[in-house]
Amino acid sequence: MSKRNINKTAERAARAAALKAEQERQEKRRRLLLIGAVVAGLVFVVGAGFLVQNLRNSTGEAATPPAGVVDDYGIVVGDAAAPTTVTIYEDFQCPVCADFEEEIGEELNAGIEAGTVKVDYRIVSFLDRASKNEYSSRAMNAAAVVLDTAGVDAFKSFHDELFANQPVEGTDGPDDEELIAAATAAGADESKVRSAIEDKVFAQWIENATEQMSVDKVNGTPTVFIDGELAGSTPQEYADAIRAALG
Amino acid sequence: MKQWIGLVARLITGGVWIVAGAIKLPDPAGSVRAVRAYDLLPESIVPTVGHLLPIVEVVVGLCLVLGLLTRSMGVISALLFVVFIIGISAAWARGLSIDCGCFGGGGLEEGASSKYPWEIARDVGLLLLSAWLVVWPRTRWSLDAVVFPPRAGEVSPGPGDGEDWDVEAQHQQDR
Repeated sequence: MSKRNINKTAERAARAAALKAEQERQEKRRRLLLIGAVVAGLVFVVGAGFLVQNLRNSTGEAATPPAGVVDDYGIVVGDAAAPTTVTIYEDFQCPVCADFEEEIGEELNAGIEAGTVKVDYRIVSFLDRASKNEYSSRAMNAAAVVLDTAGVDAFKSFHDELFANQPVEGTDGPDDEELIAAATAAGADESKVRSAIEDKVFAQWIENATEQMSVDKVNGTPTVFIDGELAGSTPQEYADAIRAALG
Repeated sequence: MKQWIGLVARLITGGVWIVAGAIKLPDPAGSVRAVRAYDLLPESIVPTVGHLLPIVEVVVGLCLVLGLLTRSMGVISALLFVVFIIGISAAWARGLSIDCGCFGGGGLEEGASSKYPWEIARDVGLLLLSAWLVVWPRTRWSLDAVVFPPRAGEVSPGPGDGEDWDVEAQHQQDR
């Protein structure tokens, strides 16, 4: 083998190695660019989704509360001079609340009647997903309409009526027509409540009331406070505490 | 074999993320309440986290199911599970009775909750699956293998030892 040939072979090998290195460098660049593009795409999707979620959440926007509420979200039933205040957070679709109402409702009504206690109802709505027709928020709206047009006594009998006839979770709750009928039976004027119930006029107030409950660190229904003090952690404890307060 | 386990890990964790995120998407106010109920974050960032989380969950889930950026997504997934485990444990330890909000709802629970141990066990399992993907991100039927084929000069393990890409085998045939 001649010297020239050896040189040629070495030259060829060097050129091949350089080519390979160049290819690898380009390959690496291509991968980095591709990864960058994919990451940028994902960041864009997350950012756009975040914006949409922000826009869809109207919580906190100005709302008109129904006439007669106290402290924006409280519906106070009973003698304002009653020595004890029982605050109850409830959702019309919450089965535990219905059980709680059945357990203590009558005794509580007697206490209201006697002037021993007043009840500050904090109605909220987070259980729309538990019915097929958003019963939770429609019922709360109807109750607000009854309060707004017919006063607190009508609200109270409407409230008791709804809990006594609560729809089973996962079914169709009463429709607007049935709510209007119940509102009329509770003492409201049909001509005044019909459009307000059908148009869900207090929708924004309902959202804000539910948000306020969360901000107030109340994370379940029913939750009961007696004179501002949390009255236990289970419906049974709440009922017992109310009985003790009723004397 | 590891690649098949990786595929299963991807589908399970990814599927859970997609479902968990998709259920929360329709109710942004509810997700915000769910985050707030843990009582761990300052109120100023609660809405941001509540709005961002479902989106991130869906995107991470989709990437895992498709096998796109598997290792990075495995890292994000594992970190999120660590955060959730801490959140649920903290709620449990402080005697908070909240719905974890893992699959929608959240925060506002009817009555008491005794589901914490089960929720933590589930999240630990999913955390382990995510960690698997961080350690062995090469999996069967992944988009990564198509979009990011191995470098031309990369030494490919022989067939049968389970670490080679499908695409790599294809390359060798081409050569």
